[in-house]
Amino acid sequence: MVHQSEQNPLGAVQEVVGEVSLPFTIHMLRIQIPERPHWRQKAEEFGFHFHTFDGEPYWDETAYYQFSLEQIENDIEAPTEEIHQMCLEVVDNVVKDEELLRLFQIPELFWQQIADSWRNKDPSLYSRLDFAYQGKGVAKLYENNADTPTSLYESGFWQWLWLEEQVNRGKLSRGSDQFNSLQEKLVHQLRYIAEHYRVSHIHFSCCEDTQEDRGTAQYLQDCTREAGIDAPFVFIENIGLSETGFFTDTHDHTIDTLFKLYPWEFMQREDFGEHIEAAQVNWIEPMWKSVLSNKALLPMLWKMFPNHPNLLPSWFESELPTSSSTPLVKKPIFSREGANISVIEQGKAHINTGGPYGEEGYIYQAYCPLPKFGDNYTLIGSWLVGDQAAGISIREDASMITQDTSRYLPHIIL
Amino acid sequence: MTNPIIHQKRSAQINLGRMRKVFAPKPLSLGVASIMLTACGDNREQAMIFTNLQDCVSQMPEQAEQCELAYRNALEEAQRTAPKYAEQSACEYEFGAGQCTSYRSNDGNSWFMPFMAGYMLSNLSSSRYYSSPVFTSYSRYSPYRYRWISADGYEYGDIRKRRVKVSKKAFSPKPTVSKTIKRGGFGSSVRAKSSWGSSRGGWGG
Repeated sequence: MVHQSEQNPLGAVQEVVGEVSLPFTIHMLRIQIPERPHWRQKAEEFGFHFHTFDGEPYWDETAYYQFSLEQIENDIEAPTEEIHQMCLEVVDNVVKDEELLRLFQIPELFWQQIADSWRNKDPSLYSRLDFAYQGKGVAKLYENNADTPTSLYESGFWQWLWLEEQVNRGKLSRGSDQFNSLQEKLVHQLRYIAEHYRVSHIHFSCCEDTQEDRGTAQYLQDCTREAGIDAPFVFIENIGLSETGFFTDTHDHTIDTLFKLYPWEFMQREDFGEHIEAAQVNWIEPMWKSVLSNKALLPMLWKMFPNHPNLLPSWFESELPTSSSTPLVKKPIFSREGANISVIEQGKAHINTGGPYGEEGYIYQAYCPLPKFGDNYTLIGSWLVGDQAAGISIREDASMITQDTSRYLPHIIL
Repeated sequence: MTNPIIHQKRSAQINLGRMRKVFAPKPLSLGVASIMLTACGDNREQAMIFTNLQDCVSQMPEQAEQCELAYRNALEEAQRTAPKYAEQSACEYEFGAGQCTSYRSNDGNSWFMPFMAGYMLSNLSSSRYYSSPVFTSYSRYSPYRYRWISADGYEYGDIRKRRVKVSKKAFSPKPTVSKTIKRGGFGSSVRAKSSWGSSRGGWGG
């Protein structure tokens, strides 16, 4: 059994159809709403090209989630900033401890560079914390996507536009708000980063052949230009190495500041990895984030902040309690988009997503099922820009494990 | 919104023009510069452009020493950051006949680059001042013809103009143009793992 009960664990969750006139309620609601008639055309106009995948919707505006301001501020926003600070304490411990750096599977060549980037306070752009939250009680942290989080465009811009237009069409109350100051904060933080490094350019980079990643990078380029800073682009695969040891773009311009939508753990293990130090790049995200984007973060958090209400008990493989009656989730130290995750109950794997990860080892986390709304398991992504909570995104999946095929739904605060 | 929300949790305003992709004109590399020059902001300062050292000294005789120091800094910066061309003809196509000089980089390679046409100086009366080389083109094939431009393509207006308002960033060090010896050193992990076909592609999370 994967589910604790076949019943909807949220007896109080309502499915409401049509126009909004709801009684006061403390619960998070999933409410159906007519789609904007021409949104696909609008998506074309704004360059949102990955709203549908293989004929299946990714962006889904046939429904939305509704929160109260208290839910957002007390249950999501405050814990997000608190957990972020706890994560920074973990970084502070790990960067000066060789044993921990080894446990985090960080190649020795980068220990000093990571410590330096931490000591220099190299500024971070953004992160996304993933939570299980059902509208009451505490949100439980699943993981921290601190290095290469996506679904940024649909969160910061597209769901903002959706709310604006549904309000203007009279489909949503004028009092509707959204927990989403992402774009405003991104523009501000990008300007801050450029001033911090005294640069007039930030290069942007992602892999070839991925429409979604290119869309995310493009979005950040737009935010950067909005901040008055030039934002050239180069694909990760096309980055060059100059005779003088710098990284270059395809115009042979030296890259001095680079946003890379490409994981640190990959870069550190690839051919140009050994040239990273001499290339003297201002990295976004900075290299100290290698510590946070790593699932080893989860058992470290549990060790340093045991029984914190927003944390799930977590262990390194070597420290796993011998007899565990509660089901566990086994996650690779490095993995993306729900790959290679299994749920283990009494030593037996129940769900097992395939994938290419796991050679660097695993961690274990107490199993905490996602809340179910109708037929959907719902995951909340809570964004940080710099050190500030900046909004949420909601993903739904028919499966227990949110993968990259999950649908994205907008939300409101009312 | 008719009812202003006091504790609004979302972005107050988004520049839809910037976000629109279909009807937006493709920005040239110059597009950004014009935005920087027209944007009102506290970050801009008055700068002066001099065509050579003598020009600076004759206009500000009491600051001859600063003129010279700034001139030397700008020359050095020009060597480092000016656009470099492998062929003289390519350089002259962009900057005009007789407007280019040869240059040997530290690694022993030969290049052609435009002459520094002038140097831009921030307010000399403040205790910290900055200088930056500027170039211009006499080529009728160039959009920069008779315009002041920085090493990285920011435009500061007609060359008859000597006083310009610029962003402070105009004086920050410019990227060095480098000779690339190798590409493709990043991205191999994706190729190795992509047989798993993260369905929409992408390595974000």
